[in-house]
Amino acid sequence: MIDYVDSRSSTVRALSPEGSEVLAFLRRLDWLLLLAVGALLGLGLWVIAGVTRNDVSGEPDYFLTRQAIFAAFGAVGLVLTTFVDPDHYRRHARVVYGLMTGLLLLVLVVGAVERGSRRWIDLGFYRFQPSEFAKLLLVLFLGGFLADRYKRVSDPRTVAAAVGLALVPALLVFMQPDFGTALVYGAALVGTLVVAGTRWVHLSALAAGIVIAAILALWALPAIGVEVLKPYQAKRLTGFTNPDSDPGGATYNVNQSITAIGSGGVSGRGVSGATQTSLDFLPVHGTDFVFASFAEQRGFVGAAILLGLYLLVVWRGLRIVAIARDAFSAIVAGGIVIALLFQIFVNVGMTMGIAPVTGIPLPFVSVGGSSLIANLLAMGVLQAVCARGRGAPRERPGAGSKRR
Amino acid sequence: MADRKPRSSRFLPPDPRVEEPYRVTPQLALRIGIVGTVALAVFAVLFLRLWALQVLSGSQYLNAAQNNQLRTVRLEAQRGEILDRTGRTLVSNVPGTAVRLWPADLQPEGRYRELQRLAKLLNVPLGRLVADVERRKSDPLTPVTVKTAVPEDKVAYLREHQDEFPGVAIETTYLRDYEFGSRAAHVLGHVGEITKEQLKTRLKAGYRGGDKIGQEGVEAAYDRYLRGRPGVAQLTVDALGKPKSSLVASQMPRAGNALRLTIDAPLQRAAEQALREWIEKARSESPVDCIGCWSANGGAIVALDPRNGAIRALASNPTYKPSVYVGRVDPRALAKAGLTKRTAPAKNIPSLNRAVAGEYPSGSTFKPVTALAAMQEGLIEPYDLLPCTPDYEVDEQTFANWTPNFNEGMTLPTALETSCDTYFYRVGKLFYDLPEERGQPLQEWASTFGFGRPTGLDIGGEESGLLPTIEWRRRTYTKKTDPCCWQVDRLWKSGDSVQLAIGQKDLQVTPLQMARFFAVVANGGKLVTPHVGMRVERIGARGTRPVVLRQLEFPRPRPTSVDPKAIQVVRDGLYAATHGPNGTSTAVFGNFPIPIAGKTGTAEKSLVLPGWSQATIVDQAWWCGYGPSDNPELVVCAVIENGGHGGSVAAPAALRVFEEYFGVKGYFELPSETD
Repeated sequence: MIDYVDSRSSTVRALSPEGSEVLAFLRRLDWLLLLAVGALLGLGLWVIAGVTRNDVSGEPDYFLTRQAIFAAFGAVGLVLTTFVDPDHYRRHARVVYGLMTGLLLLVLVVGAVERGSRRWIDLGFYRFQPSEFAKLLLVLFLGGFLADRYKRVSDPRTVAAAVGLALVPALLVFMQPDFGTALVYGAALVGTLVVAGTRWVHLSALAAGIVIAAILALWALPAIGVEVLKPYQAKRLTGFTNPDSDPGGATYNVNQSITAIGSGGVSGRGVSGATQTSLDFLPVHGTDFVFASFAEQRGFVGAAILLGLYLLVVWRGLRIVAIARDAFSAIVAGGIVIALLFQIFVNVGMTMGIAPVTGIPLPFVSVGGSSLIANLLAMGVLQAVCARGRGAPRERPGAGSKRR
Repeated sequence: MADRKPRSSRFLPPDPRVEEPYRVTPQLALRIGIVGTVALAVFAVLFLRLWALQVLSGSQYLNAAQNNQLRTVRLEAQRGEILDRTGRTLVSNVPGTAVRLWPADLQPEGRYRELQRLAKLLNVPLGRLVADVERRKSDPLTPVTVKTAVPEDKVAYLREHQDEFPGVAIETTYLRDYEFGSRAAHVLGHVGEITKEQLKTRLKAGYRGGDKIGQEGVEAAYDRYLRGRPGVAQLTVDALGKPKSSLVASQMPRAGNALRLTIDAPLQRAAEQALREWIEKARSESPVDCIGCWSANGGAIVALDPRNGAIRALASNPTYKPSVYVGRVDPRALAKAGLTKRTAPAKNIPSLNRAVAGEYPSGSTFKPVTALAAMQEGLIEPYDLLPCTPDYEVDEQTFANWTPNFNEGMTLPTALETSCDTYFYRVGKLFYDLPEERGQPLQEWASTFGFGRPTGLDIGGEESGLLPTIEWRRRTYTKKTDPCCWQVDRLWKSGDSVQLAIGQKDLQVTPLQMARFFAVVANGGKLVTPHVGMRVERIGARGTRPVVLRQLEFPRPRPTSVDPKAIQVVRDGLYAATHGPNGTSTAVFGNFPIPIAGKTGTAEKSLVLPGWSQATIVDQAWWCGYGPSDNPELVVCAVIENGGHGGSVAAPAALRVFEEYFGVKGYFELPSETD
């Protein structure tokens, strides 16, 4: 099987200097997805420009400038990953896994502590957050691992092995502690397993396991005296079931966030009129609660456009899963899209009080270089999969998916 | 590897040696479909929630967001002045500098250090400052008043070093200013920050936390006129409560109105001086036979107009300076003034307004009550003689007259003149001997004259005193309260009636009740409602007359159905007591050019003197009367605690008030010791 896949590799064509080949490659990209990501990027910078205006006194564009630089880096990364044959990741799955684990271990050792958690490696000009990149690396590794066992994917041992291997980075991130990102890893794992064709019964068992683990962590173990989560984490997660329980404490953020969103109304209050943001009633409005700030400033119209763009990205992503050239590409694309969907739902849902507060950044928008660059790299991988997929026009018109 | 593949390899047919190539299986298609459906559902939920929040309830949240940032600040209104009856200012305001602290602006780091520095600079106890800041945790937008009346140099220092004291604001405030120090302290009361309990009942009336409100006295009773209306201003703040804009007043404060009292400032001073003077005299120059006089340490004087109940002077001793309550109250100053629970006993409870809440046995000042009741009930004929003997025995108990020097028959006026106890014992026995169906007329008349209940004074703070009755005895002495002797004590005995007739034993009255009764005698039988409030005014610009906004209304004097002829007999007796050869206060009032009539009282009270281990009978000195006796304008009642004979200390104290009132002095000097 490995031989066969190798025989179908076609990197050389894409990278050949011949003009028509490059043109053909470019034509096979998902331009609508690229457009949507570009629009998200632009919208995101606009959001940051408005939301963080008052955060650094005297330098209204501090965060905007930084975010724009990260976006530029991320765009370059997107282009580069587009030209890399995804199969390289599969073949070097062990390196990928080692790199991921190494980075996550490194951050636990040399990471800088801020607000009680050790998430970043301070590089001076830039705070590198390995867990964001590890998200992509985990998907790539799981893709390789499951693709290599494609025929044995119904075997419970394969599933168990995949779960066990994914548990390592999840636990490392959990120890930082960063409960939200650990959950995203879980979503990526589920995503890869779904596309790889794991039996529903196994998926159900996994889902049940996650639910039981959550119950244990939140209620059962604390009841017998074992603290799995920091009290603030548990409070935030359980507070979501009863938002008015402690308006000054754990649920303060959510209440202020809902007020911010609601006060935006249909057309928004503008940058200077958005008092929830400008007067700091809404905390962490540049990162975790950026959606609420945006919704306050630009109203239902702006927020709906943002959600629409996300929907577009998810739709194009799922289409790429369908046209992927091989199992590996499909699984990777599936993992990326489902993790993205999960992040969007949990972050936006959190700001509106319908999902627990977990501190997951909003993809492409939240202030933060690592998240932005890692997400753009993931989009590059999606494009790479798309360009090498089977759904390209001319070659197989009408095969498996709609034509553009 | 891929590089070595020939370009055309992809057109080759599938290699039969290898497995089927990867393609989208129906299973994967189904799964992508499911994920797509889930994604659509997720976005549908997000859209719907967004729609609900922004479009359906947007205005409601907009309101909430606006309330978040707009804070309402109250602007203090200048409190109205308090004037005496002729318009002299008793209480006014002075602008003062207040140092306030907005807890919201305290920095998380170094806040303790800042409080420490502030406490030291302004000389306030650090512990209390910290406690006050802690208390404002849930309400960081009501500032803590650190100190008022801050000296100029400290204000300058704070202004120069404002950066080092985040949250400290220097503001102008109004401070109560007491023109005459402690004068009329008990009448005026004081102003303080509203308490939690007061706020509970006054929210509807527009009071808010942090407001100043009158505490006790006139300040409390007439707070609604004095307080004015606070202004309201809006201020934009951020989430930390830091002001982001200047104050914008939406309603300017309206100063309170002035209140004119019936109190006469010079007369009040005279009354207070008289108390001080005669308490001092009782202590230092008391006759040898006066047990406990050296511990005379308190007293009260009431002076009122018998025609309408307007109080001209209301003095209580010991007293205090209400200025200790101005601004931020210093507990050390309160303790020093004897105004805390702990320090009050050593200072003989200065906060107690003895004129209205001091309950004393009345002694002989009660005899006119007995006289009126006996005449009304037909028990005696005023000009028939009743024996005034040195002793009177009833039911094997012997009651002595205060002096053994009389042993003759007396008319009622003479008995009042000489204050003959045995005459009145006999009258008391007549009341006791009345058949049951006649009730208890002595107590009924006493009640008619206002004893046993508050007089209805407008500034409140009164005690009821105690008018003992048969029922009261039965109620009070039970197996529980008096296990040894309740069966005897619960009965009303002849001794009770006999002693009540001269105002002894269980009877307790306040000086104000007694003054009100003497007003009944003075005005010919009408019961007045004592009051200190006169009218509400707005003080105009300098030189213009104040505008009267409201004349305060009080119940009109109420007739008591007492026979004018009986009153006349008592008035004759009271005049004889101050002018007759055997009058108990003739020595004091006999030469006074304005005719004064009145009654002394020497009431026995059992108490433990300081330094004594056992209770002793100590005399409480009373004098109550009025003048001019033919057309009374002023009733004066004076009590000196542990003062000895009423004629020797209470009567001269009362005389000082008449001297001031009528503007005649120098007709009485203290008898020399050998006298």
